[in-house]
Amino acid sequence: MSDLNENLSVFAHSIVSGAEMPQEVNDGYQSYSADTALEVYRNNYRGNLHDALSGTYPVIEQLVGEAFFRLLTREFIAQYPSRSANLHRYGAELAEFVATFAPAQSVPYLADVAALEWVCHCAYFAEDAGALDVAALSQVPPEHYPDLIFISDPSCHVLRSQYPCTAIWHAHQPGAVSDFNIDLESGPASVLVSRVEDVVRVREISDADAEWLSGIKAGASLGQATVATLARHPDFDLQAALLAMTTQGVLTGFSHREAS
Amino acid sequence: MSMPADNTLPCVAGIGLRAPHYREVLETLPRLGWVEVHSENFFGGGAPIRTLLKARDHYPVSLHGVGMGLASPDPLDTGHLDALKQLCDSVQPASVSEHLCWNTAAGMVVNDLLPFPYTREALLHVAGRIDQVQAKLGRQLLVENLSSYLSFAHSEMTEGEFLAELVARTGCGILFDVENLYVNTRNLGVDARAFVDAIPAAAVGEYHLAGFSERDGCLVDTHNNPVFAEVWELYEYALQQIGPRPTLIEWDSDIPPLNVLMGEADKAQQFIEACHE
Repeated sequence: MSDLNENLSVFAHSIVSGAEMPQEVNDGYQSYSADTALEVYRNNYRGNLHDALSGTYPVIEQLVGEAFFRLLTREFIAQYPSRSANLHRYGAELAEFVATFAPAQSVPYLADVAALEWVCHCAYFAEDAGALDVAALSQVPPEHYPDLIFISDPSCHVLRSQYPCTAIWHAHQPGAVSDFNIDLESGPASVLVSRVEDVVRVREISDADAEWLSGIKAGASLGQATVATLARHPDFDLQAALLAMTTQGVLTGFSHREAS
Repeated sequence: MSMPADNTLPCVAGIGLRAPHYREVLETLPRLGWVEVHSENFFGGGAPIRTLLKARDHYPVSLHGVGMGLASPDPLDTGHLDALKQLCDSVQPASVSEHLCWNTAAGMVVNDLLPFPYTREALLHVAGRIDQVQAKLGRQLLVENLSSYLSFAHSEMTEGEFLAELVARTGCGILFDVENLYVNTRNLGVDARAFVDAIPAAAVGEYHLAGFSERDGCLVDTHNNPVFAEVWELYEYALQQIGPRPTLIEWDSDIPPLNVLMGEADKAQQFIEACHE
């Protein structure tokens, strides 16, 4: 290992997990000690990650309050070190952490709201994609429809929750008229997150549409996704789903897999 | 006055454009010489890049990276570099800069701007990475001096000497952060005049000015205050020795109303004009 690599690995370890400083660091400075300096770096590390989480999870922070959120992020940061120089990538595992974080168990829907906020965050920063070429699609001979592979917008995510996460999320957006009468027993729901004209939209969709879109996102052909969806949801309306997903910018491209 | 190639910022004062001011700036189009943003905040598509492109229609834009980790011992993150290249292609910035620091070692990422020992080994390493970044971007990079809270006993040269070597080896330019240098004089006993003497004036493409805070005797580069008198004094000295350059007012936390930032920029502008006279 090179000296530089050795020095900086020890330094990183002392910032992230509180290990000792590299020996090569000078001990004393003009008006403070090396320990003070290290504490500044440790605070910066935790503070930057806390601020990143606070930016990504504003609804969670409102739901649990600032003080509890700080406790929660402190524990999360200790368990999940940063893995990317781009801070926008930090915090993907918060939902799974919340699900196991004992002090948060009294708020059963918290993990699902965290999962929703993470995909909203990803949708906000997702790459741009073009619009679906409807003219080209209309040229595809009908006998090839089952083999069409649709490409969904990079911002598009489908979630399913036991709780009314969509209502909870909307009630905690800036300027929202708070609805404190959300019925937590209103039953499971499917949620579609996608970016429409640069704004992240969160809305409930039917379970059939959610299943079909999940299939499409997983790479299933139009035929495969539709057959699988109809098997579980006989009332699935393919034409309506296609129209809705196209006009809302969820489907952005297609390719045609030649029948073998 | 000589200026680094590729750097087409006007030689006037500009401000760091941050999220709380996006709307006001785009709606009122105040008189700003130029704006600088943190590159990583505009990686990807959607609203961030669209906002920046609108600003780009009215002001020269400088892209200032906080995540490349030029001195990190781990391999350069090519995904990060690709994203910066994509951003440069769409924004066509007047200037692109990064910090002389590291953020990743042995797979551990510290999302901060960290100091390292100024050794020959580090010099070869950093120079190679600057070459890699400049080759990918097809343009010159400005490299910013760092504010540090600690130093390494086995450094073989000063930061100023290290920067001068980087310029000679890679053709990069220098972003001279006057506040960072001031923080280092107070924290580490760095000789500010020796720093100014060590760096090649012709390579300096931009100045930064900001306010720091203090924690247990250590000055911390928090960018949450107006520029202090001692930093204006050092800026004036740099202007005399190096010459006027595009100058940025940076404010990143406890961000004040836009007119406060513009007042600070006006003050910097007066220093620049006094220097021209």
